[in-house]
Amino acid sequence: MPKTKQKKNKKLSFDLIVVGAGLAGGTAALSAARKGLKVALIERGQTPGGKNYFGGTVYTHALEEVFPDFWKRNPPLERPVTEAGYWMLSETGMTRITVQGGELLKNPADAYIGMMAKFNAWWVEQAQAEGVFLIPKTLVVDFIRDARGAIIGVQTDRPEGEVYAPVTIICEGVNNILTQKAGLIDHDLRPETVALVVKQLISVPAEDINARFGLPDSDHGLAVSVIGDISLGLTGLGFIYTCKSSVSLGVGVDLDVLDNHHARPYDLMQRFLKHPQIAPLVAGGQMMEYGGHLIPEGGWRQMPKLYGDGVLVAGDAAAMVNALHWEGTNMATVAGKLAGEAAFEAHQRKDYSAGSLKVYQDKLNDSFILRDLRQYRNFSHFLNTHHDFMDVYPGFINTALGKFFSGFGQPKRQLYRDILRSLTRRKPLLRAVGDIVSFGRTIIGW
Amino acid sequence: MNMKSEKEIRETEKVRQIGEELEPVFVDDILMSLKYYVDEEQAHLKIKDSEACKTCVGRGCLYFCPVGVYSLQADGTIQVGYQSCIECGSCRIRCEKDNIEWKNPRGGFGVAYKFG
Ligand SMILES: Cc1cc2nc3c(=O)[nH]c(=O)nc-3n(C[C@H](O)[C@H](O)[C@H](O)COP(=O)(O)OP(=O)(O)OC[C@H]3O[C@@H](n4cnc5c(N)ncnc54)[C@H](O)[C@@H]3O)c2cc1C
Ligand code: SF4
Ligand code: SF4
Repeated sequence: MPKTKQKKNKKLSFDLIVVGAGLAGGTAALSAARKGLKVALIERGQTPGGKNYFGGTVYTHALEEVFPDFWKRNPPLERPVTEAGYWMLSETGMTRITVQGGELLKNPADAYIGMMAKFNAWWVEQAQAEGVFLIPKTLVVDFIRDARGAIIGVQTDRPEGEVYAPVTIICEGVNNILTQKAGLIDHDLRPETVALVVKQLISVPAEDINARFGLPDSDHGLAVSVIGDISLGLTGLGFIYTCKSSVSLGVGVDLDVLDNHHARPYDLMQRFLKHPQIAPLVAGGQMMEYGGHLIPEGGWRQMPKLYGDGVLVAGDAAAMVNALHWEGTNMATVAGKLAGEAAFEAHQRKDYSAGSLKVYQDKLNDSFILRDLRQYRNFSHFLNTHHDFMDVYPGFINTALGKFFSGFGQPKRQLYRDILRSLTRRKPLLRAVGDIVSFGRTIIGW
Repeated sequence: MNMKSEKEIRETEKVRQIGEELEPVFVDDILMSLKYYVDEEQAHLKIKDSEACKTCVGRGCLYFCPVGVYSLQADGTIQVGYQSCIECGSCRIRCEKDNIEWKNPRGGFGVAYKFG
């Protein structure tokens, strides 16, 4: 008896292990530490955030759910989103459908543009201040299980690198290697359900950004999705976000189509940057950073089981992304928070079995996360089978509006006929109407 | 591989040409903006069977990798410049012969984004 006790003392043990210090992991660790659990947050990168990547925008509702005093903490964010919408590119032209004012005038705004590496690092610092023990530069390679197969700890790549805890929350991001090892999903990511996104951050002086994007000052920011000519008709889309004194521009395409079309992501990116409507926006700018990352877009249909004996999974690792709305950070943070709370409740019950940890799934069911993902469950498939939304329609809208606003002195009946023909040349009218109906059904979730 | 309709094949052919026509980027230029802690002792990416690459039809790795880690050698094998990998995971799931042994770099190594 004394012998085993001695052995136990040597073991590095915690109440909870969280793997991955992204927004999901940082929040999971924080919410459990807040309830009094002893939490180890293990991150393979040099520092939290160094491996993580996004467009992008973070959403106030999720930030305030974790930190009610969020704005007093001086978060490193770039600009509020005061203009949002779609830019549709044709080969040389562009149609912008954006909103500003109204709903987007709130203070604080609903969404803020940020840089992931910086924001993520700050986020985890907040968690450390509340007692989370960060173990950086450490890769988790496998799990430690008890005789019944329940997960009771992790094996890291450090010498004698076992860490023990009755619950582990996997927040490893899109490459769900551990989620598979934990037995929560039986197959790897499918290339047709992930998008590969590349991005460039380009420095442009703040005054130039404001002038070029029509923003009154640096307390205004633009966040748009770009569709049409950008992805060469492949299933994909781009984005533009204005930071304080840099612009973030990216292109994402379904992974399974890139090689089929011999398209290299960085060549697509360059083509986007050279588009006649885009190039002037970043003219004279210096590239500050290039990068790339996968987005799990399979959503509901590609989700793993969310809990097992001694284990939970949250964030990108669980495919918690709503691709149409660029919502990933808010799902990661809120799911992380709920997972941390579920781990705490399991400790109160002293029951770490799947049955006890299932409370996490119940919490997610009540949140926007599973409701939205269920509603959008057909969306990824829809885009794969309706390429025209990426290509034909944006081009048509540009031609149609171009004709409408330039057809001076032309008989208007003829003008409308021309416009209609520019659609039907691209697509039979009935099919087009059918597409629009099924798009509606997909996002309403019928 | 899933079956493609005649129309899809035609579309594929069309786009394939455009893909080839894209103005090529000199990858080293974009890599200059990235910071890495290179693991000189261990490569986290390996080709399992270099012979298999010689008969690979798509050679997708030459296209989808966002930093051009994979390059074709004169003998038909593939060279892996793991040092510039940004760990996106594309090759892990897209190599058509499942011929890439993919691991995360050891703790502390690999890409380190400054901005993200
Ligand atoms: C280009 C792009 C644009 C996006 N734009 C937006 C946007 O505008 N708005 C939005 O809300 N969302 C956006 N998203 C999605 C959003 O960024 C993600 O959904 C979210 O950041 C996921 O957080 P996470 O914590 O689950 O994963 P990650 O941020 O990927 O964190 C995973 C962490 O786990 C660590 N890790 C992995 N394996 C191990 C291991 N074995 N051992 C130790 N550590 C490990 C990694 O190093 C990493 O730090 C975008 C994504 C991309 C790629
Ligand atoms: S895709 Fe895979 S099998 Fe084909 S050449 Fe590349 S590494 Fe080799
Ligand atoms: S993980 Fe991504 S960046 Fe690294 S080699 Fe594979 S495709 Fe290229």
